[in-house]
Amino acid sequence: MKKAFTTKFIVVLLLVVFLGSVVFTGCAKKTTTEQTGTGNAYLDQLIKAAQKEGELTVIALPHDWANYGEIISTFSSKYGIKVNELDPNAGSGNEIEAIKANKGSTGPQAPDVIDVGLAWGPTAKEQGLIQPYKVQTWDTIPDDVKDPDGYWYGDYYGVLAFEVNSSVIKNIPQDWSDLLKPEYKGKVALGGDPRTSAMAAMAVAAAAIANGGSFDNVMPGPEFFAKLNKAGNFVPVIAKPGTIASGETPIAMMWDYLALTDRDNFNGNPEISVVIPKSSVVAGVYVQAISAYAPHPNAAKLWMEFLYSDEGQLLYLKGYVHPIRYNDLAKRNVIPEDLAKKLPPAELYAKAIFPTIDQITKAKKDIADNWDKVVNVNVKQNGS
Amino acid sequence: MLSKMEVKQSNLKDGATPRPTFSIFRDFLFLLPFVIFVVAFLILPTISIFISAFQDPSGKFTLQNIKDLFTPYIMNAYLLSIKVSLFTAVFGALIGFMLAYASTFGKLPSWVKSYLNTFSGVASNFASVPLAFAFISTLGRVGLLTALIQQIFHVSIYDLGFNLYSFWGLCLTYLYFQIPLMVLLMTPALEGMKKEWREGAENLGATPSQYWLKIGLPILFPTIIANTVLLFGNAFGAYATAYALTGGFLNLVPIIIGAEIRGDILHNVGLGYALALGMIVIMGITILSYNYLQSKTARWLK
Amino acid sequence: MKKSRFWAWFWILLGALYFLLPLFSTFLFSLKMKKGVLSFAAYQSVLKDPQFFKTFIFSLEMSVLTIIVGLAIIVPTAFWVRLRLKGLRPIVEFITQMPFVVSPIVLVFGLIRLYSKPPVQLTRTPLLLVMGYVVLSLPYIYRSVDNGLMAMDVERLTEAAESLGAGWTTILFKVILPNLKSALISGTFLTFAIVIGELTMASMLAWPAFGPYMALLGQNRAYEPAALAIMSFALTWAAMGVIQWVGRTSFVKQEQVGGIH
Repeated sequence: MKKAFTTKFIVVLLLVVFLGSVVFTGCAKKTTTEQTGTGNAYLDQLIKAAQKEGELTVIALPHDWANYGEIISTFSSKYGIKVNELDPNAGSGNEIEAIKANKGSTGPQAPDVIDVGLAWGPTAKEQGLIQPYKVQTWDTIPDDVKDPDGYWYGDYYGVLAFEVNSSVIKNIPQDWSDLLKPEYKGKVALGGDPRTSAMAAMAVAAAAIANGGSFDNVMPGPEFFAKLNKAGNFVPVIAKPGTIASGETPIAMMWDYLALTDRDNFNGNPEISVVIPKSSVVAGVYVQAISAYAPHPNAAKLWMEFLYSDEGQLLYLKGYVHPIRYNDLAKRNVIPEDLAKKLPPAELYAKAIFPTIDQITKAKKDIADNWDKVVNVNVKQNGS
Repeated sequence: MLSKMEVKQSNLKDGATPRPTFSIFRDFLFLLPFVIFVVAFLILPTISIFISAFQDPSGKFTLQNIKDLFTPYIMNAYLLSIKVSLFTAVFGALIGFMLAYASTFGKLPSWVKSYLNTFSGVASNFASVPLAFAFISTLGRVGLLTALIQQIFHVSIYDLGFNLYSFWGLCLTYLYFQIPLMVLLMTPALEGMKKEWREGAENLGATPSQYWLKIGLPILFPTIIANTVLLFGNAFGAYATAYALTGGFLNLVPIIIGAEIRGDILHNVGLGYALALGMIVIMGITILSYNYLQSKTARWLK
Repeated sequence: MKKSRFWAWFWILLGALYFLLPLFSTFLFSLKMKKGVLSFAAYQSVLKDPQFFKTFIFSLEMSVLTIIVGLAIIVPTAFWVRLRLKGLRPIVEFITQMPFVVSPIVLVFGLIRLYSKPPVQLTRTPLLLVMGYVVLSLPYIYRSVDNGLMAMDVERLTEAAESLGAGWTTILFKVILPNLKSALISGTFLTFAIVIGELTMASMLAWPAFGPYMALLGQNRAYEPAALAIMSFALTWAAMGVIQWVGRTSFVKQEQVGGIH
């Protein structure tokens, strides 16, 4: 008797709260503001409006990734705007989820801007999660990495490289085929899981290209790693600065800018060599976009203006990424000499392959689908 | 359910004063905070799991995600997760019990018990990246212990077939937080064992092992099993440690869920939620069967 | 050495080896920041950051709140279920174990969806975070309290107290709680450790907690994360020492009403 009543009570309570939440989550307002004008007067207006909002919320921006640490602090102190930083570990999918979950809410937990992989731009636009905005320097952004309506556009790119702990590895591998050599037994690792990390997936794609494949046929990639695994050279650990420094994963496949940043941070302890493999140079482009539900739209726009200004792009360069306006900056000779020297020589990047969005999407899917079949099966046999 | 309560009532011992009648109101007062809290902060936020599990990427209703659960790939993932959780739950419980027992009844200096408890408190949540890294730096290919053994015995444990990045390595790492969890849960129960029972048994001539076999363990049995089930759930849902150690190369269910939801690549959120639903079902079955087992043995114990 | 004492020491020492070795390796690695020498450079680097203490204290405060709320909810529930509503036990246990299979990222997005806008906007205060933490700690608190209740044979105890004429508040505060001391401390330990290390929810809800701070630091550094792990271990240890000490001195008059039969 008592229990039946209790159950009924619970059910009623549940229904009430559920209905209530459904009613109230129905209304979510988008926060688009019209772009009015160009030039310095406009910028001053924007700055004032942004400062009035006072805050900006970003997500998934580790401080040592593309020098975001300095970019965030420079932006914050230059304009006096507080920057809230959500989960630096978030993946592109998490960023999209964060926008969705915060539809219609204000507050520091709702992201204003996102920095996601190239393939996510169109997806986010389709789902109505981002709003268009063309920065002042719009025309100098290459056409093939921007949405014509201004919803998303590339901010920087890097290429896939080998990060080698040269204090431990004396004979540094120069290319993909070198990795199969027996001297590298138990030494080669990826910087992520190819089923969840764009960087790792691109590494597998790069392996494919080095072995006769292409972005339209990435099967040689997983096959290469299966060979690597069978030879015992592959370590199934996600390479992080800690494991590279300790020698557990002394050869790791990372974006060049991450490897170069590590080289600086370790300060010789250990020594790091960054090798861009000759037979395949794969570029990964990231794009910025403003959330359609951004609680601080003007601050978000100011952030975009900052990133795409010469100052912002040079800060990116300091983090060893190629800012998207690199060619324009080089043409106008605004790149400081010492900064230019810190990047690997330009010839290495000349052969960089920039996959299209469709190619990326297809390649990721093929790699994800086949990764387990070709590699995991063997891993299990090795250990479990 | 109703009949069980009636049975309980009739089990009142002779001579005991009848319990004061309690109104339904009283029942509610005790239970309401819990109900409100759980509904508001656990059930409602996760109702999306139930809804999304039946949606395809474009939002339409579908049973495909559920059907996809029964592919060999996913079934193997569940099997692996269950194996890891079962192994670490049982051994964690066993070893944790031994440690708790040793510190409570082993006639050791009292600082041992308090240090053990404090350490267990900290270790039970020393998980994910720090823990994985700790084990990598101990038993990884260039780990401290690996190097030590190499120096002393001139043999590499990896050549002998040991591999930290495997099922067994993961279990070893999981035990690091499973054992302390058991210690923390078991110690209060052991402390509550009335001294009078043990003394009484000794007075009647029973040896310590007889006492344990006939009285101690049977009384503790429900608690031990309940704690083991908790350990199982703890391991079953663990994601961060597995990901940090094996980089997603071991196919555990939480790893796959993470991949689907986090999705730089795969992004079938519906499948991810269906997997979570499957986990809830498995946990439900585990708890129901343990409760069933417990009620059967309780009757036998009485 | 008596046989039982030998085995007791054996188990303790084996356990100590297993638990201390990984910590030692981490510690050793954290000392290697400067090439060729062992130094505390990594620790200095971390301690120089004002964020370290700021975030740790914030998480400390959160854990206190979580413990209070969690215990306030669980103790009456566990007590009542054990005493009167035995039939509800499987359901309550199932609910308390659900947080295991609900990953924090799913939970936090669900919470944001529901409670980040009017009329119920809880995101302005840490209250939502605390509630999330209580959910995560639910299994552990419930199990600890339930264990404690079983150990004290709560049914007989309550019966005895009732037959002596005690009212409900007396029973709860003078009989049940003092005997639950050990279980409450266990539950507190577990909750505290969970809150200190929690990362996903705190960072998605934009609160300056210790977990996100550790993650930010650990993202691209090699030696600092190891130092951080050791330091958080030490700090958590210290906090637990405090908890134990508080537990010891506050329940000064601990009368074991058990033992009547």
